[in-house]
Amino acid sequence: MLTPLLRVILPILLCVGLLGCWEWSVAYWSIPSFVLPPPSAILAVFISDGVSLLHSAWITLGTTLMAFVLAVISGVALAVLFASSRLAEALLSPYAVTLQVTPVVAIAPLILVWVGLDRAWLAVLILAWIVAFFPVLASATAGLKAVDPNLRDLFRLYHAGFWQTLRRLQIPSSLPYLLSGIKTAGGLALVGAVVAEFAAASGNTSGLAWRILEAGNRLQIAKMFAALLLLALMGIVIYAILSVIEWLLLHRWHGDRRNNS
Amino acid sequence: MSHDLRLERLAKTFPNGTAALHDLSAEIDSGAFFSLLGSSGCGKSTVLRLIAGLDVPTHGRVVWPQGLARLGFIFQEPTLMAWASAICNVALPLELAGVPVRDARARAAEALAQVGLSGFTTALPRELSGGMQMRVSIARALVAQPQVLLMDEPFAALDELTRGRLNDDLLRLWSECRFSVIFVTHSVFEAVYLSQRILILSARPGRLLADIQNPVPSPRTPEVRLLPVFNATARDILAILEDRVTC
Repeated sequence: MLTPLLRVILPILLCVGLLGCWEWSVAYWSIPSFVLPPPSAILAVFISDGVSLLHSAWITLGTTLMAFVLAVISGVALAVLFASSRLAEALLSPYAVTLQVTPVVAIAPLILVWVGLDRAWLAVLILAWIVAFFPVLASATAGLKAVDPNLRDLFRLYHAGFWQTLRRLQIPSSLPYLLSGIKTAGGLALVGAVVAEFAAASGNTSGLAWRILEAGNRLQIAKMFAALLLLALMGIVIYAILSVIEWLLLHRWHGDRRNNS
Repeated sequence: MSHDLRLERLAKTFPNGTAALHDLSAEIDSGAFFSLLGSSGCGKSTVLRLIAGLDVPTHGRVVWPQGLARLGFIFQEPTLMAWASAICNVALPLELAGVPVRDARARAAEALAQVGLSGFTTALPRELSGGMQMRVSIARALVAQPQVLLMDEPFAALDELTRGRLNDDLLRLWSECRFSVIFVTHSVFEAVYLSQRILILSARPGRLLADIQNPVPSPRTPEVRLLPVFNATARDILAILEDRVTC
């Protein structure tokens, strides 16, 4: 049986072991560092370039968070509009779908031209928002449609206003859907931000994606690894935070699933 | 005798062409216990939705001689907000009407005590049994002190024992609070046990087959089920239903 302590210790031991193998293999087969740098070289990059990498990470994180917040607000707002007006849904949802299915890399040059190269950060923000927006819209729309029609009738019977119905019925009822969409959007906002930085790569954006391109051009593979590591960490932290928020909001309502007979 | 509402030649045909209800007229006396009895799908629920204003009749109208009454509605399912405690569910009608939260919660606690759930104010719906959830639903309907209580086969999904208890509790609440009840059911025995008057509807499209003044004496206790008049009434009603129900 796995005790909780072992559950933590074993993965760490495996990780340390793999890093050791990596370090040893690079030295043993004398793999050149522009193909595969040893973990120690990556650590060295963190020590020498840590501050500037963190600065880039901060920029990418800022874009990601802004795009995420915008996506949640606009996605929920549009879903509420769709839920309260069939006409609005019929008119607008084709555009939302079109925006979603068009590859964001293909839209990037156009957006970049529109906002101007000197404001590349804005283009990156818009592109990341486009990527993160759709899962929020889709999940919120599904959640709002799944509201118990009898409860909706009950609210009508007691003459509940639009905001009362939204706040007391529609939002809490669609929360499980919404939160799963928001969790997806958190990850996608980061993906969108990085893809957009790649697409807009002109030196005017100085996020982590640009650092990866720059390091790649100079064959500084250890730096690429360091930047990648930071991106992965950011993704994990965003996902973990959103999972905790989801748990905090829903665990009382859904309870321990094992007790939910 | 004064009456709360009058149904004038109500008819409802849904947009898909289904005729749910045909030419139903009735007067609902104040404080009376009415049952709408009929087989499934005969438009009984449609009548309640028309009375509640949740649907609009195709023909005819619902008349409120003394102005629109305060309504309570109890659905076949408990229809509770899964994320809110019993007391929050019960306080909902008051809070929607703008009653301050503190007063609303106090009155909700009273209503929960009325239905025998004073120990379960903070319980979530999923922590309650089906019968207890239905009690919460009844408390929520009572908290706004309705003049007319509309009930749409509220106990159909419950087991026999729970159903019997809730029937007796409903009768007790009705005699204490004196609202009128319009009780939709497909159970002949439930209708005969509970109501003073029974409107029998035909199969779809629902039309009035009979309007029966229930001769079973009050107060209704489980013993009245053993009286000859109880069985005779039930038999008469079954005969009317079986004679006309063709499907």
